[in-house]
Amino acid sequence: MTLAEYKYADTIHRCFRCGYCKFPVNWMDVNNCPAYARFRMETYSCGGRLWLTKAWLSNEIDWSEHLAQILYSCTACKNCEEKCPLRFNVDIFNMIQAARAEMVERGLVPAAVKEFLENVQRHGNPYGNAREGRGEWSQETGIEQYQGQDYLYYVGCVGSYDTRAQQTARTLGKVLLRSGVSFGVLGSEENCDGNEVNALGEETLFEMLAEENVRKFKDLGVTNIVTLSPHSYNAFKNDYAKYDGSFPVLHYTQLLRDLITDGKLDVSGGMNARVTYHDPCFLGRWNGEYDAPRQVLSAIPGIELVEMEKNRESTLCCGGGGGNFYTDFLGGSENSPARIRVREAATTGASVLAVACPNCMTMLEDAVKAEGLEDKLVVKDVSEIVGEVCGIG
Amino acid sequence: MSSVYESLVEIVGGEHVSTQAEELYIYSFDLGTTEPHRPDYAVAPRTTEEIQEILRLANREKVPVAPLGGGLSLAGLALPLKGGISLDLKRMDTILEVNEKSRYVVVECGVSQGQLTSYLERHHPTLMHSEPGAPPMATIAGNMAIHGQGDLAHPYGFNSDMVNGLEVVLPTGEVCRFGSCSVSTQWYTNHPLPDVGLFLGWAGTTGIITRVSMKLFPHKSIVGAGQFVVKDENLIPEIIHKITHTEMVHDLVAYSQAIPPFSSGLHHLTINLSADSEKELAFKMELIFDDTLGHYIRSGDGGYLGFNRGLQRPQVSKTSDWRKGGGFEYVGSIMPVETYPDCYRRGREISEKHGIPYTVLGRVIGMSHAMMFSWTYAFNRADPETMDQAREALHETDDLVLELDGAIWKPGTYGQKLVMERMDPNTLNLMKKVKQLLDPNGIMNPGNWEVS
Amino acid sequence: MDIIACIKRIPDTSEADTIKIDPSQMSIEKGSLVFKINDWDEYALETAVQLKERTGGSLIAVTVGPKEWDDVLRRALAMGADRAIRVDQDMVAADCHSVAIVLAALTRSLPYDLVLCGAQSEDFGCGQLGVMVAEMLGVPHAALVVGLQEEEGKVRVDRELEAGILESYTIELPALLTIQTGINRPRYISLGGIKRAMKKELQVMSPGELGLTAEMLAPQVKLERLEFPPRGKEAVLIPGTPEESAEHLASILQSAGIF
Repeated sequence: MTLAEYKYADTIHRCFRCGYCKFPVNWMDVNNCPAYARFRMETYSCGGRLWLTKAWLSNEIDWSEHLAQILYSCTACKNCEEKCPLRFNVDIFNMIQAARAEMVERGLVPAAVKEFLENVQRHGNPYGNAREGRGEWSQETGIEQYQGQDYLYYVGCVGSYDTRAQQTARTLGKVLLRSGVSFGVLGSEENCDGNEVNALGEETLFEMLAEENVRKFKDLGVTNIVTLSPHSYNAFKNDYAKYDGSFPVLHYTQLLRDLITDGKLDVSGGMNARVTYHDPCFLGRWNGEYDAPRQVLSAIPGIELVEMEKNRESTLCCGGGGGNFYTDFLGGSENSPARIRVREAATTGASVLAVACPNCMTMLEDAVKAEGLEDKLVVKDVSEIVGEVCGIG
Repeated sequence: MSSVYESLVEIVGGEHVSTQAEELYIYSFDLGTTEPHRPDYAVAPRTTEEIQEILRLANREKVPVAPLGGGLSLAGLALPLKGGISLDLKRMDTILEVNEKSRYVVVECGVSQGQLTSYLERHHPTLMHSEPGAPPMATIAGNMAIHGQGDLAHPYGFNSDMVNGLEVVLPTGEVCRFGSCSVSTQWYTNHPLPDVGLFLGWAGTTGIITRVSMKLFPHKSIVGAGQFVVKDENLIPEIIHKITHTEMVHDLVAYSQAIPPFSSGLHHLTINLSADSEKELAFKMELIFDDTLGHYIRSGDGGYLGFNRGLQRPQVSKTSDWRKGGGFEYVGSIMPVETYPDCYRRGREISEKHGIPYTVLGRVIGMSHAMMFSWTYAFNRADPETMDQAREALHETDDLVLELDGAIWKPGTYGQKLVMERMDPNTLNLMKKVKQLLDPNGIMNPGNWEVS
Repeated sequence: MDIIACIKRIPDTSEADTIKIDPSQMSIEKGSLVFKINDWDEYALETAVQLKERTGGSLIAVTVGPKEWDDVLRRALAMGADRAIRVDQDMVAADCHSVAIVLAALTRSLPYDLVLCGAQSEDFGCGQLGVMVAEMLGVPHAALVVGLQEEEGKVRVDRELEAGILESYTIELPALLTIQTGINRPRYISLGGIKRAMKKELQVMSPGELGLTAEMLAPQVKLERLEFPPRGKEAVLIPGTPEESAEHLASILQSAGIF
């Protein structure tokens, strides 16, 4: 592909590299682009990445591992789109994605990305774990296979296979059972939703996953979906309509909020804790849902909800998006965004860092350990906080 | 790998030095029309000590060093014109101290305008700094170093007039402090110690500023801007003179631009007012818009477009996207206010000649002691011809400034030569001696202000 | 340069504890397994594609196996092979020798300067096939190649010995090389690429078309049965500080004769 054939050929040169994209909405620091926060070299900022993309597509610079790594170090957090004052800002991530698609087509992706995609191709998850094991997390929970219940509880790859995230998947399932929600899971029949695959630029693989999932859901008569992960929520809500799959979908925090409001979920048991909530990028900036998780937490007596200075649209991404929870291009330093974020959480004086995404969970929990903050701060999913309040282990 | 690379790795750590093609490519570019100049190393230090070691290394190995803050001067002043090290100072981004009683802030050289504005808003809401119109990634220290002006220019002057003290690393690696910080624990004043003004306005050719103390000013709870417009550019100097006489305004900007088309040929004045009570605001508004500007309104020479509460800080800059092109550059000048009409007329001619919609702006400095007048030329980065046009227009405008008896502000190499041609030889000689004294090996941002 | 690359389809056994031996004890249960190109063969393919990109010429990807094995040929075509050939053969009882006979016969029927094979396979790991084919063809060969540079009518190869020592040879063409992992970074094969590769030619032949009979291909090595190795009974958890446990471990290894 030449620059002329690139889908955003008319736009890619318009970035002025003014640097707004490094700031959060509240201008607090220049650390809000996770890749720039990690490396603090201009090449890793959004503007640097766009200029390098244009240079590569125009043959001004050659492909290199370093270039590929820079392109894949973007976590798709949309802070840049939120901050860029120019009119093409809505296309910033699209431009990155389209450049990645070109690298994918030429086979020139970093080794970790290749592994990720090959594992999804072969095993339906980026870890390369066996498909048959995908449903094991729900053993002995009483959670049933989906057979036409009101909701399909879609868990996703991280929740199905990561041992810590599996705890969240289980707890949420049990909370839903306690609330009398009619739901089922796909277990080993569940396949990757493709959100990260899409973000990594493997368009044809995403298409295949989406088409298969849509067919499966339709054959099973799925009417409503509730997801554990905001990544799945995003894909179903925004990208599956193109494949004739328009299913009403909720992120679980939205469902829990409704259940509490309708009196079906009793959280009056309460919990005494100072809690701070971390907005997941795919729920917050990508889909504008900042309130539902906060409403759930605020409904629990005894919880003192405190905000980090960078919250809502100003949130610092945990660094796990764009496949980075697996490829880990931003790890290995005290400047890794997850570590910066848990330090920010610790300054609120909160003892609980609440998350609503299994990717955030794994990234931030590892960061708490790396920062030596285990006795000060514990990372809990919103569903786990609700579970604890209801006496669900 | 060369030994310079290995030494740099030892000083700042492997992650903060790069000789890879991607970093060298990005650090070659200024965001204006200057041609790219490739560094040999991109380096991002964190401490003053690291900078000292880097400069000592650079002197030993005769490697040029170009200090880089936000890189938003747009005149190519932070480019490695002779290769060598591009020194990205933005990792040094700690706000060290805010002293409310003496109203000053001490920052490291990489602290950005937006970061400071946000910090003061959240922690010291009765204080503000004079924030320039550059994108908020611009650094405090960099703006000082080029004699920038912000939204308190009237009545408080250049940002470089607001310096209480500097910590500087000389090209040969020694650290110096100027101002009260050199004798006291406080950074509240530059005077009365012997004046050693060798680091502001020198485009980084005499040393690297690592810390700066800057005066802060009262921030009131009600802020807003009134808009006034006239058709006749000749009225602008007298209006500015009258408004500044009232001593009631902070920030006074006159501007005129071709886009949107209905505003072409009109001259707008943005008049910032602030107050801590409605009473104070009402008084100021009456003084300005009734008493001072009343007769222009009544005679039909001027129009009052209203007063909008709330100032957007940082200011949002969208000029670069005007030609959907990702770029612009401007000539800034420090001119007598009375030259506004000529600046506008002649500037408009140059723009139109080069097919660029004209954009001019004059920001009043001090008590109308001068104004910063700028002519902005947008270009399309994907169309080299528009860049050539912009470059030509910029050079012609540099010539114009001197023709109109003004001084070019932060000139690039083209403007520097014009200015040096006009300066008296004794001054040039002294500049040369100073440069040789401070930078005997000529490593400090070479290519700029080179007196032959 | 005209190149032939020989590839094999093997199960992805990255999750070793999901492997089960089927009741016949002659093969593993394949029902839930996913299949892919043998790792070493992927490196050989990447080497072949890069060589073709540098020198022009043609690249044919070949395999010997049943119909299911077409998918790895499609991947080879997506990677950059010009065409592919599968010699249809049931692989249940085949041994290296019979496969080598087929490959040698196929190779003789095609124009070639260089044949590339993987050094060994991930499933049976015999490491014999490429060398056998070379002997049957009567061409010079080198095994465990980690570096390759083409010259006029020859190739210069580096072979990996132990302790990081490399051995270099210049080999006259035509020749056969078996490729070691790590020689390069095999490119990612996108699904879009595979779809587009459906347009390229994939030819299926029978051994008969190469003049081979069932007798000629009778295996010389007979598989008796497959079984798991006995599981170890003991696991020792070594407690203490890193220094303490390091010392303890060192003494265990020493008394086991490892140091």
